Amino acid sequence: MKTLCDGVRRIPMRFALYLLSVLFLTTNAAFAHDVTPGDAGYIQEIWGVHIIPFIYLGAKHMITGYDHILFLLGVVFFLYHMKDVAIYVSLFAIGHSITMLLGVWFGWGINAYIIDAIIGLSVIYKAVDNLGLFQKWLGFQPSTKWATLIFGLFHGTGLATKILEYEIAEDGLLANLLAFNVGVEVGQLLALFFILIVMGYWRRSPNFMQQATYANWIMVGLGVMLTYVQVAGYLAGT
Amino acid sequence: MYNAPKPNLEDLPTKAQLRRSSVIAGIGAAFISVAVYMPAELGEDPTGVGSLLGLTEMGEIKQQLKAEAEADAELHGKDQSSLLMNDILGLFVSTAHAQEAWQDTITFTLEPGEYTEIKATMEEGAMLFYEWTSEGGRINFDLHAHAEGQDVTYEKGRGQTEGEGNFETPFAGDHGWFWRNRDDKAVTVTLQLRGGYSTIVPEQ
Repeated sequence: MKTLCDGVRRIPMRFALYLLSVLFLTTNAAFAHDVTPGDAGYIQEIWGVHIIPFIYLGAKHMITGYDHILFLLGVVFFLYHMKDVAIYVSLFAIGHSITMLLGVWFGWGINAYIIDAIIGLSVIYKAVDNLGLFQKWLGFQPSTKWATLIFGLFHGTGLATKILEYEIAEDGLLANLLAFNVGVEVGQLLALFFILIVMGYWRRSPNFMQQATYANWIMVGLGVMLTYVQVAGYLAGT
Repeated sequence: MYNAPKPNLEDLPTKAQLRRSSVIAGIGAAFISVAVYMPAELGEDPTGVGSLLGLTEMGEIKQQLKAEAEADAELHGKDQSSLLMNDILGLFVSTAHAQEAWQDTITFTLEPGEYTEIKATMEEGAMLFYEWTSEGGRINFDLHAHAEGQDVTYEKGRGQTEGEGNFETPFAGDHGWFWRNRDDKAVTVTLQLRGGYSTIVPEQ
């Protein structure tokens, strides 16, 4: 039994304290701290350099990131020379790598809804571009290479925003971040491999050019949907 | 009209090339599913590749966290009874202001992967001062509390070897630490406490 007095507050008394020297641990105890499951939960438990896990996480992030994949599909939709595919995919990779690395390193606190809305717009842009509507409206073809690079910068900013939410430990951050970036490119190449096979079969079909119109209009619709969801989320959050 | 001309058939990959690529993609996908996805997500490694790459540990941690999150959801139904206990205790307990000397020193050792919770039963508006150090390795912690649908996280950390600070409780209940050893060796933590708490709850 212990009684403590306090000069500032009115203090009555306290009960005896258990003095614990050794705790016997049980493994089936149910704890109730705020558990974060999944990838973020794993990342928040670890520190130090984990190259391959972060490559895996980067690749997974890209493959499950339907907005990035949709844009990539738009970019390669009419590209069938491997040289062109390589140039455009590299431009996209350069673009998103720059902002992804800088964004995480400098902790850009950009609103995820806004950046994801812009990524939705990039899908609309690319589909409208594919449909030749810019040529029709503007009288000239805006550079498709610059568009890929610039939208790549926005996609990278979106990636950075998601990575910041992962709260990667300071210890090993740079190596893990670079590994994540490598993973993003691995994931992009895996997705591209799949896309090119499907497109390869499709392009051989005599109806391809006609179906391409429908496909790109559907892509416009999906881009509108992505943008709408993000704008609505932003408005609901403010 | 498009921004690109119609492809020439002779420029396109042949059907034989496409078929070969499809087979490669299928084999690749099957390999990735079993050798990479399963260890990294489920913690199961039938091929041994996952452990070689260091992915199985990630899957095991994810599965562990998932189980804990589910146990958490179940536990929330039981909050009422433990709260009642806190209220009864609360009748006898009031705030004690921090004294210069530590009231309690708690020492515990966690093997890699092990975890424990140490909490102080406190009234609303009470203060707790703490200081801790770890020996043998680094430790992860989550200093938090929750009761009656309320919850608060005071501080979270990972890979730390020492800490100190204080907090004031926004509501009555058990406030304290979840500790987990994610290091690769045993870690001994020495935690010193003083402030307005009635009891220390080793585990709930």
